[in-house]
Amino acid sequence: MNSEPLRPELLAELKALLVETLMLQTPAAEIADDQPLFGPGGLGLDSVDALQLVVALDKNYGLKLTDAEAAKGVLQSVAAMAAAVAKKSA
Amino acid sequence: MRVFLITGANGGLGRAIARAFLAEAETNQVWLGVRSQRADAEALAAEFPGRAHLVTLDVTDRSAWDATVTTIREAHGRLDVLVNNAGRHEDSLLATMPPTAWSGVLAANLDAVFHGCQAVLPTMIGQRAGRIVNVASISALLAPAGQANYAAAKAGVVALTQSLAKEVARIGITVNALCPGYIETEALAGMAPERRTAALAQVPMRRFGRAEEVAAAVRFLASAEAAYITGAVLKIDGGIL
Repeated sequence: MNSEPLRPELLAELKALLVETLMLQTPAAEIADDQPLFGPGGLGLDSVDALQLVVALDKNYGLKLTDAEAAKGVLQSVAAMAAAVAKKSA
Repeated sequence: MRVFLITGANGGLGRAIARAFLAEAETNQVWLGVRSQRADAEALAAEFPGRAHLVTLDVTDRSAWDATVTTIREAHGRLDVLVNNAGRHEDSLLATMPPTAWSGVLAANLDAVFHGCQAVLPTMIGQRAGRIVNVASISALLAPAGQANYAAAKAGVVALTQSLAKEVARIGITVNALCPGYIETEALAGMAPERRTAALAQVPMRRFGRAEEVAAAVRFLASAEAAYITGAVLKIDGGIL
């Protein structure tokens, strides 16, 4: 994990990407940084959503999640995604 | 502009499918996947300079698929339609079938479709749009004697089609399969006259299909009009089954 504080602009950008890519009904502003994307209490995403997110992160940030374990770690929450994007561009 | 990739494009069916897309709109860009036999596809490409492009693609080779998709993306920035048309058969009774005839036919007809779909999916998911048409065979449904390998491979293509269709439906990608019967192509032309007569007797329409008749169905499934059709298995067999 990146020890630097996560940029609010990046977090907002990723939430917008999430809503747009997955056509979510939840407004971006209502998604918490550490809200789980999958499972109970989360955004309720499934494996097809995960597939789309993997492609979107590669397309928009050049972040390649080639194995399932790496993807699982990064796709936990918006904060985890932001940390991975920030780490890649650092 | 719409961008198409057709495998097995040197064969009669592949060329007919390519012609259907080239005739559909002058802005269509059609990539013809070929291997060592390419003279007929080259002649077709020469008829449509700047619109029909040859690409060397061994469909059993995953790295060749990735290179092909990269080439197409570099040229046009997108890929709208994949037609998995390449295939081959090597008929024999299962009791005496050489293991290489089993593995080779499975690789060319089924593994190839897996590799092709996996290679194009990131592009189509990124576009949130795409069309995949898999050319299976009536053998997938009839399972004729002497074709255990080919029938199993094509039945696998049908199942892969239906499974993938469910996975990507909400991303705007459709995946459909065609099951052609006896079609007048090189394969049929090489058939012995007595076998030809016997084959014809199985067809209620009492004629073989034309490649253009299969191509018309491929063109439809790849069109905007077919947006709500996915996981479909369409027989084009003159009523055999």
